[in-house]
Amino acid sequence: MRQNLTGYKIRSLRREAGLTQASLAKKAQISASYLNLIEANRRPAAGALLDRIAAGLGIDRSVLDGRAESRMVEALEEIAADPAVAVAPRPVAAEQLVSDHPDWASFVQRLYRGYLEQSETVMALADRLNRDPFLGDSVHRMLSSVTAIHSAAEILQGTERLSPSDRRRFLDIVSSDSETLARTAKSLVEFIESTHVRMRSVTPTEAVDAFLFESDNHFAEIEALTESFRSQAQDRESVEDAAARAVKLAGGRMLDIDPFALPESRRFAILRHWALVCGHEVIEAVLAAHGTLSPEARELCAQALHSYAAGALAMPYGPFLEAAETWRYDIDRLARRFGVSYEQAAHRLSTLRRPGQPGVRFAFMRSDASGFVTKRLPLTNLPLPRHATACPLWAVHGAFQSPGVTVRNIGELPSGDRFLFFARAIDKVPAVAGRPRRLLSVMLACNADEAGRVIYGDGLQHEQAVVPVGTVCRLCRRPDCRHRQEAPLVV
Amino acid sequence: MAGKRILLVEDEPNIVESLRFILEQAGFEVDVISDGNAALASVIADRPDAVVLDIMLPGMNGFDVLRAVRGDTKLASLPVIVLTAKGQPNDRKMAETIGATAFITKPFSNAEVIECVRSHAGS
Repeated sequence: MRQNLTGYKIRSLRREAGLTQASLAKKAQISASYLNLIEANRRPAAGALLDRIAAGLGIDRSVLDGRAESRMVEALEEIAADPAVAVAPRPVAAEQLVSDHPDWASFVQRLYRGYLEQSETVMALADRLNRDPFLGDSVHRMLSSVTAIHSAAEILQGTERLSPSDRRRFLDIVSSDSETLARTAKSLVEFIESTHVRMRSVTPTEAVDAFLFESDNHFAEIEALTESFRSQAQDRESVEDAAARAVKLAGGRMLDIDPFALPESRRFAILRHWALVCGHEVIEAVLAAHGTLSPEARELCAQALHSYAAGALAMPYGPFLEAAETWRYDIDRLARRFGVSYEQAAHRLSTLRRPGQPGVRFAFMRSDASGFVTKRLPLTNLPLPRHATACPLWAVHGAFQSPGVTVRNIGELPSGDRFLFFARAIDKVPAVAGRPRRLLSVMLACNADEAGRVIYGDGLQHEQAVVPVGTVCRLCRRPDCRHRQEAPLVV
Repeated sequence: MAGKRILLVEDEPNIVESLRFILEQAGFEVDVISDGNAALASVIADRPDAVVLDIMLPGMNGFDVLRAVRGDTKLASLPVIVLTAKGQPNDRKMAETIGATAFITKPFSNAEVIECVRSHAGS
């Protein structure tokens, strides 16, 4: 398991508070040497002991659990493993950097995001310059004109006793190629001005990831809003009809919904629209409470919350959790019961984190067939890759081999942590004859300890069923893996 | 040096005008061809003393002409000066690999071209 950061954190906060090890140890009712071991992360600190240490430091225990720091360490390790920036020998342990210099750790992370963003833009522009025939042709024509003008001008300037007819000839060349050059340059400028390279930023997407992770993918205010709305809906009225009526009452624009969309997608679109029109104030308050977000990130976070609200409206927390526990998280059954798609039900499972009333804690990941991750919600001890393709042994990839079928396994990370992975490739849009299907794989994962509560864990409990997996090849220490695509940078 | 025959393979008429002028001023006899296939036929039939060869040509491109020239043992030592707007390092490397005698990028200075032709066409 990843080295816990609690010890480093205690040491850092103790120094900030101006306490010696001896004085804090006394307050925590342990020996100074034991505290020393804890601070060096050589002994764990948990339970009542962690409470006493937190009290001794005068801080809330939650400050010491190190979740945010763990996430930052994962990000830094992934950065350090990128061959484009990796150095040998590897820098000091990421844990130490995060613990001792959190501002610098955050700075490195931001710098790397900026680097990725710029690299993508440069690649897009280079690709365009290389491939666009108009640009290539224009540049060639400009060079030819410049060459003709330059050479003729040298002749006009440097040739003694140039005959009047030759003078006229080369002046004509300068004149005609100047016109050609001007025309070519003008059309090139028009071309560049009429087409925009979309600068895709990776940073807002990461900001959404961070926003969901830091909020634990559970929004009590939105749950309360949707529960209140449902309680006010008229008898025998479906929730989507009530939502459509509420939108109309609020003066909202009616929604144009793709008539060919699947029924559950149409329904979800209505509920999302309700969230946009009627949940605006609550969602704005949630975003404002989170702190500063860039305009792009804010827009993406708002969209994520609209979907969250739609999910909460279609699958109210209490009844959904009860059904999930009764049916052991059988997603198909839940989807049928609540009239939603497989993906919507799966995603809702990852939000069952109400304090005091939690469900099984799931990581959520959605990927296309190329391995491009389109949605991710990690667990603290199960990092999901940000910038690289996940381990090919994860069910999220295997699901593409048999679309519509749930692929599952118990995977063991090199750290020894085990997880139940289960995934299904689904049609994101209805299949059209003669065109490639647009499949996305939706994967959930939970700690193997909880696999017994989940129907997809059945029959996988014996030791032989455990599959050795990693997170991404670069960070995986398994030397003999037949599925390896890149050499490990961490040994 | 007078009387040396240069084959100028170039398809831009205004560049041809200038190059022909400066080469003739320098005392060379200049034949002009604007097409790759015709250029190769002319090299084989007329055996010029040097070739000034553009790369982006109609028909056979300059690299293919050069490759064919170097494939003929009788033409192995013929000076071929590549004169091109394709000035990227890999274009230069390609030209060198298939046997260009010299490589000049556009836009060029007239003096540079004359000096290069003089040094390779022989006296």
